[in-house]
Amino acid sequence: MASDAPHAGASRLAARNLRLAYDKRVVVDDLSIDLPDGGFTIIVGPNACGKSTLLKALSRTLKPESGTVLLGGQPIDSYRSKAVARQLAMLPQSPIAPEAIAVRDLVARGRYPHQGLFQQWSHEDELAVTDALSSTGCADLSERFVSELSGGQRQRVWIAMILAQQTDLVLLDEPTTFLDIAHQYEVLELCARLHAEGRTLVAVLHDLNQAARYATHLVVMKDGRVVASGMPGDILTADLVESVFGLPCVIIPDPVTGTPMVVPRAAPLAG
Amino acid sequence: MTGSVATAVRPHPPTLRIGGWLSLPLRARSLVVGGSLLVVILVVAVLTLTLGELGIALGNIVPTVQGAGTRRDEIVLLAFRGPRLVVGLAAGAALAVSGALFQTVTRNPLGSPDVIGITSGASAGAAAFGLLWPGILPLPAGALVGAFVAMALVFIGTGSGFSSPARMLLVGIGVSAMSLAFVQWVLVRAGREQATVLASYLNGSLAARDWDHATTIVTAVVVLVPCALLLSRRLQLIEMGDEQADALGARSATTRTLTILVAIGLATAAVSVAGPIAFIALVAPQIARRVTRSAGPNILASALMGAFLLGLADLVTQQLPIDVTLPVGVVTALLGGIYLGFLLIAQWNKGSL
Repeated sequence: MASDAPHAGASRLAARNLRLAYDKRVVVDDLSIDLPDGGFTIIVGPNACGKSTLLKALSRTLKPESGTVLLGGQPIDSYRSKAVARQLAMLPQSPIAPEAIAVRDLVARGRYPHQGLFQQWSHEDELAVTDALSSTGCADLSERFVSELSGGQRQRVWIAMILAQQTDLVLLDEPTTFLDIAHQYEVLELCARLHAEGRTLVAVLHDLNQAARYATHLVVMKDGRVVASGMPGDILTADLVESVFGLPCVIIPDPVTGTPMVVPRAAPLAG
Repeated sequence: MTGSVATAVRPHPPTLRIGGWLSLPLRARSLVVGGSLLVVILVVAVLTLTLGELGIALGNIVPTVQGAGTRRDEIVLLAFRGPRLVVGLAAGAALAVSGALFQTVTRNPLGSPDVIGITSGASAGAAAFGLLWPGILPLPAGALVGAFVAMALVFIGTGSGFSSPARMLLVGIGVSAMSLAFVQWVLVRAGREQATVLASYLNGSLAARDWDHATTIVTAVVVLVPCALLLSRRLQLIEMGDEQADALGARSATTRTLTILVAIGLATAAVSVAGPIAFIALVAPQIARRVTRSAGPNILASALMGAFLLGLADLVTQQLPIDVTLPVGVVTALLGGIYLGFLLIAQWNKGSL
């Protein structure tokens, strides 16, 4: 018997035969992927492998040349844009903090998809913003100007903004870039907690060890294709890292978490 | 039960609620700023009507407006200072809102219709249809055509439409320079008398405005400022980058196009009745943003600030104790030039230029 959903069994967010390009320069071709529901999927790969491009397509901020992104089994462009934003939140790599904006006002902008022209501020908005601020540890910052904050604080504020959207799908494009190592782990721990609370997370990361430590589902990309995907412990091998990144290495268990840890043998010289 | 449902949440910001269908957040500071601006605009308006030889005595303003004043006061109000005041305030508001919209879509405080080529395009249109091919179009319509041609050139010149703010500014500066060169060429070709008439228009002038001018600009403000207000929530999201705006469901490309159309309409309406008055569009939204200390396009605060600044500049122009009557555009250019220098230095120091 035929199922009523066109892609029964597929996950809530998935892509079929995506072809992605910037001005005719094809970055991703014929890519299909399922992002496991309730998982913390981390996408890794060398520079320019198309991982951020894929994330943009999944959040429909980049229109595919061909192929479809499916949200709840339906093509994502069949929804109204606000309806998508009520289900899926995305934090781009470098969002711009408007001049002279207080933290709370910035976080409140995440409520836009829930608001109407005449209903611009409700009790639900109020609660969502307060929750988002407290769950990211930004409650004390709420009256400060975003421009006065440190990099780590600012990133938590941005995450609070997309949490105020109250979606169970959250996409993050390199959320740790430009942060020092302590703040990188602070952001990743925050992501892990959001995942533990039941959200489906998808993030693009650069650091393989961080990816292996936090991902429940690791996706390795190269040249616009998915080379491997699965549990980090199952797929992250020295051969894979060498063939994808060109880096000879050994893989040892992370002494803290037991997840795979990449230790380079020697950096190969270019040329 | 009469009591409302108790919540632990302190309402923040204070919210205006009417029945179940309207709930708007209010900012105390913006309300105070808006109220104060209304008061100073009223003061400027009263001074404009009362000062000088032709001035209407303070106590006679209300009777004259009601139609019970003396014949002399009536002529001053209806034929001289009334339309000039209305055109000045409305054009100031239109220019300021246009500037606020452009600055938001370009994410740059220099992105105003002056810099981006609209006002000089309008001047070129006015010059073309006023002197080069007279009789085809009235001057305001010529200005409108010029503004649209300039924006079309910017749109084509960037190679990516209006999507890259930095390119828009650069190409706009080029188009602006070309338009001004065209104006100069037309002026040189034209006879001296005609050129003098056009020259005063090209400086931006509120002298000898009539009620037709007032109707044009007031209509533009009444129609287009609400459109700007409708767009302003999505514009707040565009401030955070197109990608973030799209992710929040604000459709940045559509919003940007609509916004630019509204901004062109406002700037052109103002230029067509008052000439390319310099710097109001650039300065008013920036000052509005600083005094309200609020992010976002600040449409209403900018409109009031623009009306106030142009009203004040025109008051100064009319009451200056010198022999020549300056066009108001010279006064705004002088004040605005100082402000622009300050802004450039500030951006330079911040390293964002």
